[in-house]
Amino acid sequence: MNTNDNGGSSGTGNPASPDKDSASEIPVESSSDGAVVNDEGTVPGAQEDAERLHKDAADLDHIAVNAGQLNEEKVNSLEQEICMGEKAYHGLNKQMIMLQEANANLVIATIEAHKLAEKVEKAKLQLNHLAHHDTLTGLPNRILLQDRLSQAIELAGRQGRQVALMFMDLDRFKYINDSLGHAVGDQLLKSIAKRLTASMRSSDTVCRLGGDEFVLLLPNIEHAADVRLCAQKILAAFTESHKIDGHDIHIGVSIGISIYPDDGQDEEILIRNADIAMYYAKEKGRNNYQFFRPEMNIRAVQRQTIEASLRYALVRQEFMLYYQPKINLNSGKIVGVEALIRWQHPQQGLLLPDQFISIAEDCGLILPIGRWVLREACHQVQAWRKRGLPPVTMAINTSALEFLATGFLENIQTILDDICLEPNYLELELTESVLMKDAESTIALLNALVDIGVKLAVDDFGTGYSSLSYLRQFPIDTMKIDQSFVEGMTRNPDDACIVNAVISMGKSLKKRVVAEGVETPEQFALLLDQQCEEGQGYYFCRPVAAEAFADLLQRSASLTFPA
Amino acid sequence: MNTNELPRHKLIKSLMAQEAEAIVDNAIDLWERLAIQVTAIIGKNGFTSLYERSVFLVQPTFPWLAPGPQLSKSDHRFEELKTYLEGQNPAQAHEANSQLMITFTDILASLIGEQLMIRILRAAWGDSVWDNSVEVSKNA
Repeated sequence: MNTNDNGGSSGTGNPASPDKDSASEIPVESSSDGAVVNDEGTVPGAQEDAERLHKDAADLDHIAVNAGQLNEEKVNSLEQEICMGEKAYHGLNKQMIMLQEANANLVIATIEAHKLAEKVEKAKLQLNHLAHHDTLTGLPNRILLQDRLSQAIELAGRQGRQVALMFMDLDRFKYINDSLGHAVGDQLLKSIAKRLTASMRSSDTVCRLGGDEFVLLLPNIEHAADVRLCAQKILAAFTESHKIDGHDIHIGVSIGISIYPDDGQDEEILIRNADIAMYYAKEKGRNNYQFFRPEMNIRAVQRQTIEASLRYALVRQEFMLYYQPKINLNSGKIVGVEALIRWQHPQQGLLLPDQFISIAEDCGLILPIGRWVLREACHQVQAWRKRGLPPVTMAINTSALEFLATGFLENIQTILDDICLEPNYLELELTESVLMKDAESTIALLNALVDIGVKLAVDDFGTGYSSLSYLRQFPIDTMKIDQSFVEGMTRNPDDACIVNAVISMGKSLKKRVVAEGVETPEQFALLLDQQCEEGQGYYFCRPVAAEAFADLLQRSASLTFPA
Repeated sequence: MNTNELPRHKLIKSLMAQEAEAIVDNAIDLWERLAIQVTAIIGKNGFTSLYERSVFLVQPTFPWLAPGPQLSKSDHRFEELKTYLEGQNPAQAHEANSQLMITFTDILASLIGEQLMIRILRAAWGDSVWDNSVEVSKNA
């Protein structure tokens, strides 16, 4: 029985201990220190050790006897041999160390090569991911979309199935970027990407094409009704606000849908047609979805043509202003004027704002156009004054994009200063939706405008959503009743009630009330009956060019409307 | 059971399978004995490089393993590994150390060949252990 564990190299009784316990290999010194005793109580190998010791002692005696017989020559020869042996030993040892170092270097170099290869592989994967994904949202990009779409089309073609493509564009995303900054805009895009991904199936692909454009690929649909349901789900997901950087942001989305194989046989046509349907959704009032129809193509081509020529219209001085008088309904006298933009298109003739303003908003041209309108209108009213014509207040429509753009207030101040026009001759017309978008910050800007002397009007009143509480706080001079109510007031009692209510509210809040779109004597009579003070519309006068309006002003002392 | 498993892998797993209280000490002992043999061939720097690489490769599965032990003092060569293994339950410690040892020997075997790798393991852990393991796997 082994009574002591120190005979092995392991102190744990490890079954893997190497076979070092052979008694013949145990030196005499160690066997006396570590008592290894067998079952018979003897030390294993002790007999053999004793015999070996005896033999070694005999050898030593022999050496001692012969030592005296060694001559000097032999001693020198032995010394030389020992010296050479030592040299050889040291040489071998040195070689061993060198070999060890060489091996270490080879191992290290190989491992470093592995690491480098891994890094290269990782970088390749990252590059591949970057090439196929949008860096901001992490969603697949246009390249990956095209790849997946072409695969989906190929598979659907073989299996006789349909593929749906939804082209999504955020409604008025530019406002967010312009008013709250790009950092907030980016956060919003990320939040939208997350929401879109969460509301889709794992087999669907949500992509970001860039800017505020997203595309959803539904590679396996049974019926168009499935796509309709999906579009409704997306719109529902957009009803909840996004909480970003302390802001509660509401944003809508316009969706265009194309379906393989009906709306296109390849990915390029499918994407283009979904894009066209999306623009149609925008025109239909935004925040809705539209399936592609072939007739949309014609409109899309027209739109594209307009957008292309719109870019040169300012340079070519193709825009002009028409002027429509505002009439005091009791006296029939001109009390103000509204500037209305027209575009003298080189091929299509005179275009009305409805035909190009929404396009200008979408492509960002509304800002330079808006600045041109403001300067031109101010310049015109000053020119009439300098000619000695009766002074009138010039009203200008202001879009949300212009109102929220950086430097809006400063630009107005600069123009007024340049033209030396008193600010009280300028009135800005803003819609309810512009005013209510971010009411708290709007109040500050409205107050700043009023502080410099500019007048303010709420345009198209009644069509949007107004908080009456804010309306009371806004420094508004005028409320303009939307023409849709005026148009219906003689036929529809509800419209008449709304018109009456707005007039009463305006009086109570001590605001001027202007009825827009007065076109018939019946409407005029009813407005008079309801004690509306001012009106504007074809019944009194159509918008006219600057010279024609100067003529009206010239004759204003004797002229009353309706003429 | 994976029938294509290398005998070396089987051996390592079987050697690591100890009673709960002996797992860590046994693991460190096996490392120490392997280190002596490997260092004799590829030097201390080569061993360190191999060991650190192995730890790096198994870390995604066992994040609690440190980036690499302090090998400057041979006395404390596996002290850090011991501390980390002791911080885990026996099953986890067994699994992690088996994986680490297999990875280490896999890399070395890929550099010097499986046959030489086995000879090193025999020298480190003893011929009988290897023969027993092969015998057991034949009978299994």
